[in-house]
Amino acid sequence: MKIKIKVNDLTFYYGANPAIKNISMEICENSVLALIGPSGCGKSTFIKCINRMNDIIQDIKVEGDIEIEGESIFQNGYDVTDLRRRVGMVFQKSNPFPKSIYENVAFGLRIKGISSRYDIDSRVETALKRTALWDEVKDRLGSSALGLSGGQQQRLCIARAIAIEPEVILMDEPASALDPISTQKIEELIHDLKSRYTIIIVTHNMQQAARVSDETAFFYMGELIEKNMTEKIFTNPDREMTENYIIGKFG
Amino acid sequence: MATHLEMELSQLTSKVYRMADMSMEFIHNSVESLKNSDTKLAARVVESDSEMDRLEVEIDDDCIKILVTKQPAAIHLRMVLAFLKINTDLERIADLCTSIAKETLRLDGKPALKPLIDIPRMADIAISMLKKCFRAFSEKNSALAKEVLAMDKQIDELNIQIYRELFSYITESPHIISGALGLIMVSKAMERIGDHAKNIAERVVYYIDGINISHE
Repeated sequence: MKIKIKVNDLTFYYGANPAIKNISMEICENSVLALIGPSGCGKSTFIKCINRMNDIIQDIKVEGDIEIEGESIFQNGYDVTDLRRRVGMVFQKSNPFPKSIYENVAFGLRIKGISSRYDIDSRVETALKRTALWDEVKDRLGSSALGLSGGQQQRLCIARAIAIEPEVILMDEPASALDPISTQKIEELIHDLKSRYTIIIVTHNMQQAARVSDETAFFYMGELIEKNMTEKIFTNPDREMTENYIIGKFG
Repeated sequence: MATHLEMELSQLTSKVYRMADMSMEFIHNSVESLKNSDTKLAARVVESDSEMDRLEVEIDDDCIKILVTKQPAAIHLRMVLAFLKINTDLERIADLCTSIAKETLRLDGKPALKPLIDIPRMADIAISMLKKCFRAFSEKNSALAKEVLAMDKQIDELNIQIYRELFSYITESPHIISGALGLIMVSKAMERIGDHAKNIAERVVYYIDGINISHE
């Protein structure tokens, strides 16, 4: 499989404190990588490095590098706006804009410079279909997105992220605030989206990591303890620390 | 402090050990009944089979409950998966012993065709194999479990030896064919018991190392 993202000895500091230390890994294209580990282990910090969302925080420092398709995202003059178009993000709490369902998805397209109404209509429809939301909202595209259920709002945010055709989607606990049915829909969606995107998901739900991902990486206190095939991690991990975490001995 | 899952696994382990103890008793008693033409002992073996069947269902149910409600991972998951299969092997061992005991009942107090020497040896080896499997399990010693694999070959060789011996008996005296076939059945049952003990050893290796060595 083609390597999409290569992380080389990445250390990230908040002030003087390293939140993640010497992380190196390769992430394959069209795969789902789950990041697991106890709270504060650096999972979210790590994924926010991949689209440089951490740049907005004061007093941070990055050592090491992340390459997407062989190109360093930390090189001088790198277009961070374009990076965030290529690397979309979905957060724990759905955050639709206080606009119509249609406008939520169309917004990024307009920012991207697409002005043709026909083009926007068709991309909005495609994004909503890919997130299995189209049938539920096609008759009320002009209604406020805030009127959707939590699960629908989250799928709308995923539709918004994929409408601009990113290459990578980062998901930070995308289903942790959802009921089991909505969670299942999100998980099905992750499976369906994998063929087009590279997905990295942070989750505290071990079973969810086992269900949705091809590979799982276990972080502990800012370090990458083990990254392995998901099946291997959940049946016979290489590291004792990983085993102790997934069987609930600590964390 | 043990978690709820660990407590449930510990109870499950006790049940599997109990079933293992019973299987060893089945092997010993069924062969002893045949060796000594002891129909009472044979009848006890046949009667006890229902207890093994009941335990098998109970252990299966416990495993399924743990899988569904506790969703175990890593070594806990491997333990439950290993138990699900070991459980079946132990129950099959009991079934095969019941067939041997039924042969004793068929003979109805008459001695077997010839004094039994190799079949009790097969039984001793099979019991040693099972003991080793469960010691390996409790000590998490996969090397010990792997020793069991070689022991199965000894049982296979004894089975071939018995088969050859009985075949030559039949050739010389065709009137003993019924008694000889009975012993061939018993020997084959012992050989199958050895296979099940070997399977258990493989499940123990899977539990300890996470490696499937079946068919290697």
